[in-house]
Amino acid sequence: MIEFERYKLKNGLTVILHHDPTTPMAVVNTLYDVGARDENEQKTGFAHLFEHLMFGGSINVGDFDQELQKAGGESNAFTSNDLTNYYEIIPANNIETALWLESDRMLSLAFTEKSLEVQRNVVIEEFKQRYLNQPYGDVWLELRPLAYQKHPYKWATIGKDIAHIENAVMQDVKDFFNKYYCPANAILCISGSFDTTEIKALVEKYYGAIPGGLKPARLLPLEPEQKNFREKSIDRDVPADAFYYAFKMSERKNIGYYLGDFLSDAIGKDQSSLLNISLKKEKGLVSEINAFITGSHDHGLFLISGKLSDGVDFETLDSALWEKLNEIKDSGFTERKLNSLKNKLSTAKAFQEQGLLNRSISLSLFELLGDANGINEEIEIYNQIENNDILKFAQSILKKENCSLLKINKSK
Amino acid sequence: MNRKTAPKTNKIGAVSFIAPEAHKLNKQTNLLWMGKVPNETTRIDLYFNAGLRNGKNATVSMTSSMLLSGTKSMQSTEIHSRLDDLGAFFDIGLSHEGVMISLYALKKNMLEAFKVLFDSIQNASFPEDEFEEIKAEKIQNFRINMNRVSVLAQRSFQQHIYHGTGYAELSEEIDFQSTQQNDLKTFHQKYYQKGLFKIAIVGALNENHIEVIKRLIEPHIISESLSFLDSFCNKPGAFHIEKKDAVQTAIRIGKTLFNKKHEDFLDMSILSTILGDYFGSRLMKNIREDKGYTYGIGTAIAETGGSGYFLIGSEVGSNHLKATLLEIQKEISTLQQEKVGSKELQLVKNHLLGQLLKMSDGPYAMMDLFLSVESYQMSTAFYNNYIERIHAIDAETIMQTAQKYLKWEEMSVISAG
Repeated sequence: MIEFERYKLKNGLTVILHHDPTTPMAVVNTLYDVGARDENEQKTGFAHLFEHLMFGGSINVGDFDQELQKAGGESNAFTSNDLTNYYEIIPANNIETALWLESDRMLSLAFTEKSLEVQRNVVIEEFKQRYLNQPYGDVWLELRPLAYQKHPYKWATIGKDIAHIENAVMQDVKDFFNKYYCPANAILCISGSFDTTEIKALVEKYYGAIPGGLKPARLLPLEPEQKNFREKSIDRDVPADAFYYAFKMSERKNIGYYLGDFLSDAIGKDQSSLLNISLKKEKGLVSEINAFITGSHDHGLFLISGKLSDGVDFETLDSALWEKLNEIKDSGFTERKLNSLKNKLSTAKAFQEQGLLNRSISLSLFELLGDANGINEEIEIYNQIENNDILKFAQSILKKENCSLLKINKSK
Repeated sequence: MNRKTAPKTNKIGAVSFIAPEAHKLNKQTNLLWMGKVPNETTRIDLYFNAGLRNGKNATVSMTSSMLLSGTKSMQSTEIHSRLDDLGAFFDIGLSHEGVMISLYALKKNMLEAFKVLFDSIQNASFPEDEFEEIKAEKIQNFRINMNRVSVLAQRSFQQHIYHGTGYAELSEEIDFQSTQQNDLKTFHQKYYQKGLFKIAIVGALNENHIEVIKRLIEPHIISESLSFLDSFCNKPGAFHIEKKDAVQTAIRIGKTLFNKKHEDFLDMSILSTILGDYFGSRLMKNIREDKGYTYGIGTAIAETGGSGYFLIGSEVGSNHLKATLLEIQKEISTLQQEKVGSKELQLVKNHLLGQLLKMSDGPYAMMDLFLSVESYQMSTAFYNNYIERIHAIDAETIMQTAQKYLKWEEMSVISAG
């Protein structure tokens, strides 16, 4: 059980305090309710570019990292299609430094041209390093627009085109900050060893006077229900043919998320998973096969991906895969398999929760979904899953008309 | 409130380093146990003398990948399903110096899971079909990896760093193709069945469990002490690997150095941090945060059993290769010619102390710290010395260290792209 206290400042900032007296460290985690899905289609990649700019100096502090390092701390951040998250890990007795720095960049950034110019270049290099200069690196750039036609999930967090990043101007930066980076749109979670009264006073001191702003309404285009199978085939200079079956599934808050997570583990997480045993071990059709979900907050994707063994064609794989999926839709899993998945989830969760940073990020994510206490409830949700739930879920999503298939052909 | 002035910072707290209980198994082998864990999690690390240095790369790596792929009495699928039933998971790490297998499970399941894991490692029978499957997988991964500039640069770097020794051997596709089932069996017999040289346990298991584990592993403990090659000398000079159409170029620069047994190791670590081992380092500030040539650049000191090397690594836009190399040289010569300013030095000291505090947070972290000195027959006193050294080191010493160990003409400078 992870204990926490939660309250709101007058300006609308949600604060979560998680006290852990056993660690000498503290974590200050700040989550902003803005991600790539909130971007303008003509200016994609911006939420992530902005994350870089948050380290380029705030209204009163020239060098964020330097001040943090002086206090023995370190910092990082990540952006997804759904949200942007920043954290500092710092010796607990210097927690005030992290609050000072993080609150100052919530108050206002320095908005220097130099920082924008450099970070544009850094992000372009990141784009190349992760998406362009890796075998199979551009899969998500191709798969997203195939699976989504209207919803902004159709572009990747990095953006759909490098040109969007190259063309970003200072006014875009300022508008983005003013709209999304306000207390009303943020969750602050402080974890570690601290005196609760003192920490509340510090939070009030640093954050209390920041104008609250308005939580922006999120009005995203709805993705229409998929009625037909979609397929795209591309040629790349890669050594093996690869396939990506993407099925639409429910949003994060729905029980379907947990069922999807569970089902994907069962059929394609590790060597004892169903598709591994059947398509790799028994039939030798693939050199690897995986199943996983995106876990997106709006309608997510359930993926089955892998690489063909030498000499195997897509059609053979396709019919063997559907045969196996149909079996699952008919009979589901044995009691033994369900129990072993539940046991593995319990072990994984126990290990994850050892880390203070993991706990801080999880508490913030669950709070964004509606209630930080979700962190204490999820294992029970998994434990209650029965074969019948899996069957119904599998039948509802593992359908050809609900599927988008991306094939990558090795070019000779 | 004055937001322009930083709040007062406090001195970073002292750390009391805790060593695990050591149970002697024979003259050179210990079972290490960190039993005080305030939750249900447990981890067991097994170390075998089955690293790349002891055989052909392809054989060694295929053997380590096949440890859980079946015994005479249990098929691969059954082994994995049994571990799943117990909610256990594992990973296998391979280096030149050895193989480390980590098993994770909740306390109530650990002993059973360990029995399954250890039995399948010791009695691995390397079945034909599994062997062919692993071979195909290795070949495909190899082909994919050869498309990465980072891998191309790393391979060449390894050849240059370990120049003229067995450590410089690289695998090619043909090596995987020509490896035979029997090669694996022979290697396994020699380096796994009689090759366990360390076991480290974290978790509140009871004494009985520890005793059972001891009895299980006892017949498989190595009998002679390990010795490692310590006479490396890198081949200096620049070397480029052409990969057409690459939009980024991978850079690996480095030279042979030493491991933590060397008297200059701590000074060199601090110098490496200043140059490239934290977000505010000279290289990050210059090459990423000022020029925007890269998403990241960093330095590291890698250790081997008897030696070690210094490394600078990055991937830069292909049109920035020349400029990046020049800037790296410039940053190194600045460190050799100008003393680090007192503000920067103080910052680095605080950063390092903060890192050490973080690295010692909790029983798992404590065990890992201990293991990383124990491998060199050193004690946790190393970390107390480190803290003292962080406080004591001055700008003059750092400059001398840079002059002594960062001579550009001694570096191997590899690029691929």
